[in-house]
Amino acid sequence: MNSVNSVTTDDRTLLEIDDLTVAFGDGAGSVRAVENVALSVAAGEIYALVGESGCGKSTLAYSMLQIVPPPGRVIGGNVRFRGRDLVTMSKRELNALRGAELAMVFQGAMNAFNPVVTIGTQVDHILQAHPEVFPDPKEGRQHFEHLLELVQLPPKRIWKSFESQLSGGMKQRVAIAVALLLRPSVVILDEPTTALDVLNQRLVIDILKDLHRDLGVTIVFVTHDLAVVAEVATRVAVMYAGRLVETGTVEEIFKAERRHPYVEALINAIPSVLDAGLTVQPIGGAVPNLADLPAGCRFAPRCRLAEDLCRHTEPPLLGDGGGHLVACHVVNRDVVPMEVSKA
Amino acid sequence: MSLLDVRNVTHTYDTGTGRPVLHNVDLSTQEGEIVALVGESGCGKTTLGRLIAGLHEPSSGSISFEGSDIAGLKGKRRKDWRRRVQMVHQDPYGSLNPGLTIGSTLAPGMLRHKLANRRTVQAEMIKLLQQVGLDATPVFLQRYPHQLSGGQRQRVSIARAISLQPKLIVADEVTSMLDVSMRVAILDLLLSFQRDRGIGFVFISHDFGVVRYFAQGGRIAVMFYGHIVEEGPVEELIKTPSHPYTHMLLQAIPVPDPVLVRKRDAEGGGSERLTGDPSTKGCVFSNRCPLVRDVCRKEAPPLIDIGSGHRTACFFSDEIPPLKHLTADEASPQPTRS
Repeated sequence: MNSVNSVTTDDRTLLEIDDLTVAFGDGAGSVRAVENVALSVAAGEIYALVGESGCGKSTLAYSMLQIVPPPGRVIGGNVRFRGRDLVTMSKRELNALRGAELAMVFQGAMNAFNPVVTIGTQVDHILQAHPEVFPDPKEGRQHFEHLLELVQLPPKRIWKSFESQLSGGMKQRVAIAVALLLRPSVVILDEPTTALDVLNQRLVIDILKDLHRDLGVTIVFVTHDLAVVAEVATRVAVMYAGRLVETGTVEEIFKAERRHPYVEALINAIPSVLDAGLTVQPIGGAVPNLADLPAGCRFAPRCRLAEDLCRHTEPPLLGDGGGHLVACHVVNRDVVPMEVSKA
Repeated sequence: MSLLDVRNVTHTYDTGTGRPVLHNVDLSTQEGEIVALVGESGCGKTTLGRLIAGLHEPSSGSISFEGSDIAGLKGKRRKDWRRRVQMVHQDPYGSLNPGLTIGSTLAPGMLRHKLANRRTVQAEMIKLLQQVGLDATPVFLQRYPHQLSGGQRQRVSIARAISLQPKLIVADEVTSMLDVSMRVAILDLLLSFQRDRGIGFVFISHDFGVVRYFAQGGRIAVMFYGHIVEEGPVEELIKTPSHPYTHMLLQAIPVPDPVLVRKRDAEGGGSERLTGDPSTKGCVFSNRCPLVRDVCRKEAPPLIDIGSGHRTACFFSDEIPPLKHLTADEASPQPTRS
């Protein structure tokens, strides 16, 4: 089963996570927010990390920049960017990558700005901190103006604004433009549409697609909203209680065949505006406490398919020949275990 | 007699701009009815909810509850109205006092309105916890809000509202701060009170998916910068929107099906003019409207009935295109539901 947790690289692979475990706390009181997770993000993908609150998706995203907040720390595995391991990298090397190669838009980007200086001044500070990207700050400012146009904001007005003069939706878009300022190859967004109204959600969705198309930037985003996943993502990883339970293309995840029961339950819980939204079903129970995990499959206590095997043996993440992997004993019953090489 | 009658209400906050947040709003609800207020952030839906709940007084116009203007209520009748209209707020992290235990949160209202006394209040509170699906034990009453999850807190807020046996609950974005997986359970809980106790709801949300699920059989009022621009029965309004703003909101909703997403995108209709200030002359929506003509910039269209209680404020309501990707026969086969 070890093969499941290691990933082979091809030329397009940008980010590679290999058997990663992130723990919070020490000794007996420690919990693993992310456990033995492997996935790889290829250049040009829009990769979604999905799950309920507390499933480890944000921690996984933070580990991609090595900014897991203490007492959290990586206790096993690697995070490689273009083949270089970030886990063992020096602080100086990491700082050179952050922002310039790997950028992040944090959850609640509305609160990410300094309230007492203008947006323009804050952008100038970033340009000064990374003179290697734009030796001439004028060029950097021009680039930022261009980015503001891409996120459909008026550059002149935004440059002079204080954050209190912008709406929540505008701030989210400014935060996205700031993340792209140093031309990173990967931008990671934590819940980019949460707390926005429907029209601003739509705007952010369309903008992410535009930026992906026009700038060729690779996007990783964290969300609990499967409707946003269906709109934006090309590839999806679903997490539950620190584990990957299903990964595949967006079509594979939403297709009814061979789907993890957790993913099915998540999809059936969305009160969407479609006719099917009228027959939604809540998911009973809650994500287990990481300090007190059930034996066997972590989803078993809430699962409609659970049987005895599920209650004492953790299911491996298995493919059926392609990149679509599912960690479920019942769904995988007919799948012949085989070498899986790519998540 | 309507349960609630909002008549010609205009409201201005004292901010110096003088721009009203509500313009001549009319709305009425019957006993046990669900009316959803839908619109983007800043459209005035929360303000209208707060006026209905009596948290502010309208600058002009009147709000009547069970036939009496609430501005004129005094003494016992005022206290009675206060009890019969309750509110559940959006943010379960902000709407519970962090220094009060759950017991101290729930007890004072019931004592004040003599729905329990010192001797019975504990048993009444435990009954409430059970009704909202919380751990119905004396220990739970000793807990503080920070010890609870978002979903649990929202249930406490709901318990606080129903503890006073209201006739109407103003529910302001009650699920927007919760995980998608929790939303349906909270909506079902509120619906059970509508069904079993005939409690009416003014349900505020920007999410048509949540509204369609919650307000089945009820009505939707769509608001744009202080104006009700369309109002009608839930299914009719969603299937045949008659105002371009309603159409825009429906078109914008993320659809949880990648096949439908591609189909809709192929039909066209991008995100131009999704945001922008309201027009100060003519139709309030004319700055953003894809169907705008000269007349719209000069004259404001009145909210008129287009049949069976469906009202719209648009001169060209018959030109609104259907939303093909949302109608059943066009949709891809849905995955089997358990």
